[in-house]
Amino acid sequence: MNAQLENPPETAVLELPPEVVKLAIKDLSFFYGQKQALFDVSVSFAADAVTALIGPSGCGKSTLLRVLNRMYSLYPGQRAQGQVMLDGEDMLSPRVDVATLRARVGMVFQKPTPFPMSIYDNVAYGVKLYEKLSKADMAIRVEDSLRRAALWDEVKDKLKESGLSLSGGQQQRLCVARGIAVKPEVLLLDEPASALDPISTARLEETIAELKRDYTIVIVTHNMGQAARLSDHTGFMYLGKLIEFGETEQLFTNPVTTRARDYITGRFG
Amino acid sequence: MTTVAAPRLSRRISEGLFLTFCWVATGIAILALAAILWSLLSQGIGGLDLNIFTKSTPAPGSEGGLLNAILGSLMMCVVAMIGAVFIGVLAGTWLSEYARDSHYGKVVRFLNDVLLSAPSILVGLFVYTILVAPLKGFSGLAGSVALALLAAPVITRTTEDVLRLQPIALREASVALGAPVWRTILTVIWKAAQGGMLTGALLAFARISGETAPLLFTALNNQFLSLDLTKPTANLPVVIFNFALSAYDDWRRLAWAGALLIAATVLTVTIVARIIAREPRRS
Repeated sequence: MNAQLENPPETAVLELPPEVVKLAIKDLSFFYGQKQALFDVSVSFAADAVTALIGPSGCGKSTLLRVLNRMYSLYPGQRAQGQVMLDGEDMLSPRVDVATLRARVGMVFQKPTPFPMSIYDNVAYGVKLYEKLSKADMAIRVEDSLRRAALWDEVKDKLKESGLSLSGGQQQRLCVARGIAVKPEVLLLDEPASALDPISTARLEETIAELKRDYTIVIVTHNMGQAARLSDHTGFMYLGKLIEFGETEQLFTNPVTTRARDYITGRFG
Repeated sequence: MTTVAAPRLSRRISEGLFLTFCWVATGIAILALAAILWSLLSQGIGGLDLNIFTKSTPAPGSEGGLLNAILGSLMMCVVAMIGAVFIGVLAGTWLSEYARDSHYGKVVRFLNDVLLSAPSILVGLFVYTILVAPLKGFSGLAGSVALALLAAPVITRTTEDVLRLQPIALREASVALGAPVWRTILTVIWKAAQGGMLTGALLAFARISGETAPLLFTALNNQFLSLDLTKPTANLPVVIFNFALSAYDDWRRLAWAGALLIAATVLTVTIVARIIAREPRRS
């Protein structure tokens, strides 16, 4: 039995030691037009680790993810307040070029989104935006990325075929390969397995577990088993606020706040 | 257990009546189409010989073909399509990608829809007023401008429609890699929509290839073979119009042959457009 605190705190956010922090969010608020979706979120993500964000639909976890690579700036009505420090530099500052930011912070989406071009060109697409590689170097980069995404063996003989000809699970791993080909430092995953069958999901999870050796990974997921299996730290969000953040094992076995406890034990969500 | 009760008699009667009505209406539409195709084929096939493609329109009573009209039509349509594709693709892209919900976008979209259904004779008169009258001369180029004005709204509309069908996630995926929006449109969104865009262009081509009214005021006609688009230019629709109303049997035979040519072209282009549109998005 977990010890029930007599007066459980409203929020409980673990402070990571500064030397392990890759990405630090400070007092972040976010607005869709007039509607506020995030309220003063402050949290840090550790380097070379997986951080999972969980919470009921509409709690703001995907919104938080979309702030980290400034995806929201595509839409005129959306704005963010606060700081997102990547290696100590504020990524929300207008002085930071979005293209450069997005090269450092990659993203994989809920549904697989292969581009209508060959498997090879899908992976090379992002690289060509930043680097002028020789044909041989590009081939090496493409192969390396596909290997890291655990897709190489399945596609090495059909690199010229359309990315759309792959299965859903393969398409999602192609998107992961495409994302890591530009050599980002942070990888954002927005419910990457929600459109996949269990076998493809297992393959993708293996890939993510491999990738965390080199990347800071933030994953939004509805699947609590997935969060527990994959992540080192977990943040629980509710109604636009970060309620609890801590070591995954601690948060899943002995949550401090009542809200997180209720959500994890399935009392709501 | 509940069983599904048999429908009441009155419901079955109204169902039967409605179905019959649908069948009859469909039958009338198909019959009309068949009658048109039949008269075109039966009257036009006799006039179709090699001369059609090798000789120009004759004086009454002498031997001739439609070479000048076929070439003139082809040239004017190609020039018109170059302009219309340029304008239509860019305007459709702007409407879909940059002005989707903006007020200005809504106004432009509405005006384009008005243009889309504008009578072609108005477009002909408009080009006559701004080009033919001030320059004091009919020309193939004026004809091309009129045809382009008819084709551009069609291409604008179809381009916007097929671009809107592309998922937001596809745009975001490209932007997330650091690609600027313009590059995303050029390399990802256009590529994903190219089949639909091509279909729209082909349908626009099919539409303008049979237009007569706008050419009467602009390209007029030319008895002789001419590749100079600054001069009056022969074209199939106007030749058909003139010859079909004439008193000469050989002219009327050429008119039927020309009509058959246009119908065959439109049919072929439409079928090709359908095949392209149906092709799955796998290259």
